[in-house]
Amino acid sequence: MRSVVLIGQFVFVDGLRRRMLYVVLLFAAIMAALIPSLPSYGLGVEGAVFREFALAVIYVTALVIGLALAANRVPGEVERRTAYNVLVKSVSRSAYLCGTWLGITLLVGAAIGVCTAIVQVIAAFSFSEPMWVLWQGAFAIWLESGVVTALAVAVSAVAGPVVVVVASLAGIFIGHARGTLLGEEGAVAASRFYPSLDSFAIINPVAHGTGVGVLHLASMLVVFIGFVGVFLGAGCLLFERRDL
Amino acid sequence: MTSSPDMQNGDGIRAIEVEGARKVYPKGPFLAAKTAVADVSISVERGTVHGLLGPNGAGKTTTLKMLLGLVRPTAGVFRVLGEDPRRPSGRRRVGFMPEQPYFAPHLTATQTLTLYGRLLGLDRRSVRDRISGLLGMVGLEGCGRQELSTFSRGMLQRLGIAQTLIASPDVVVLDEPASGLDPIGQRDVRNLMLDLRSQGVTVMLSSHQLSEVESVCDRVTILCGGLVAAEGRIDALLNVAGRTSVRVRGFAAGLPPAVKRFAGDVALAGSTWVFDVADAELRAVVDAIDDAGGSLEAAVPKRSSLEDYFARLIAGDGGERS
Repeated sequence: MRSVVLIGQFVFVDGLRRRMLYVVLLFAAIMAALIPSLPSYGLGVEGAVFREFALAVIYVTALVIGLALAANRVPGEVERRTAYNVLVKSVSRSAYLCGTWLGITLLVGAAIGVCTAIVQVIAAFSFSEPMWVLWQGAFAIWLESGVVTALAVAVSAVAGPVVVVVASLAGIFIGHARGTLLGEEGAVAASRFYPSLDSFAIINPVAHGTGVGVLHLASMLVVFIGFVGVFLGAGCLLFERRDL
Repeated sequence: MTSSPDMQNGDGIRAIEVEGARKVYPKGPFLAAKTAVADVSISVERGTVHGLLGPNGAGKTTTLKMLLGLVRPTAGVFRVLGEDPRRPSGRRRVGFMPEQPYFAPHLTATQTLTLYGRLLGLDRRSVRDRISGLLGMVGLEGCGRQELSTFSRGMLQRLGIAQTLIASPDVVVLDEPASGLDPIGQRDVRNLMLDLRSQGVTVMLSSHQLSEVESVCDRVTILCGGLVAAEGRIDALLNVAGRTSVRVRGFAAGLPPAVKRFAGDVALAGSTWVFDVADAELRAVVDAIDDAGGSLEAAVPKRSSLEDYFARLIAGDGGERS
């Protein structure tokens, strides 16, 4: 566990110094600042439209940063032999993979936090309300990005960056397309085993309502732990068997 | 880097043991199976410098990777200080520097060494104390807070050596440690290996720089085609059996016929004649030199250079592999 935290800490610090992170955050801030200039859809819903777009901006920001960091981290370190320096120490390959995931997930969390704070400031200026409920949406986005990052890191244990990005995007699509792919809920018996990410889809209650309850937030955590455990477990198994 | 009591007393455990190592990369849809290492056994005594030589594709790096758990062996037994190095706990006392090491470019040298030191179980204070000494030892003093993206190739190589030694390992495995270093840096690396040996540390060196291997290694293993082509003490490998190298002065007009008829590989350097003779004829040659008024400077067992030995060995095995 100590190795996981140490590796995560250094992946986080290394990621903090990457220019890409700040470029993406700058674009996100510009897009968030432009949301209030979108056409109004009617009296009383401007705030909801703002929240919906703001969550979309935060989601895209998290996705871009997460994939950019995760897609090439392990393949790049193996190719440049940077990974050797860690793996020949008394560190297991599982610890290396989990530490990498932890560092990237924490960094994505920090980016989401910054992005949400920027959006809040813009909301406060534009609508004279801080929109605290956005943090619920940000939390759900962070959990989902953690799952996607786990999938990306697991795939990257045996594949290159292009495959990682394609697999991650496919994972997001499949995770949110149960209704599209299987028809209505329960129409197919296998639907209860479908790997759905819909638990994290709380844009509607956050943007148009008052958010979700504590129970829902807790259940999101359970889904998060389950998915991350399965993906990282599979990734570790594959990575342990790989010749470097 | 301390010599433990059991090391001095000799508990029978060797620093590195590789027995019957074999690695076959399985065939893919469009590729045939490839045997990278056919059958390699290496035994390294504690406190020695052991060289691992071979042409490209001989299996050196694959053998080292199997030893350190980076590649899964098809067969073979691997031990470092009596422990299985493929388990994380078995690598605690090992330092490894891969060929042309790279590091996370956005970390500083100090952050990088801190990570590696902490991963090996050192506390923050020990790591801090160790880093300042190590950076000085490898010629990177004052560069600790510099981001690695600004480091030159040679500086990264020096940092690679520092990270190898961060936790004072008992066994050090170096893959081409002098690659990318200037002549001063290469000399420093040679001296470092000799220092490590004097402190009781075992060094395994894989290198193409034969002069480096010849000057620091006690024993060498030469691989060729995934097999051990030769193994032994440097002196034993390089001494030419039955021949003595002779150096004489005082024959400005040329070697006298009584000497010349026994001499082989004759060369003149300044006013000194250098040639070799059969051991059985040495007495007669020395007498002939005395009779002709020459001055015998030296008569030592003939020794070929490692380069010559290596070239002969590889040529005998069918030439260099790709």
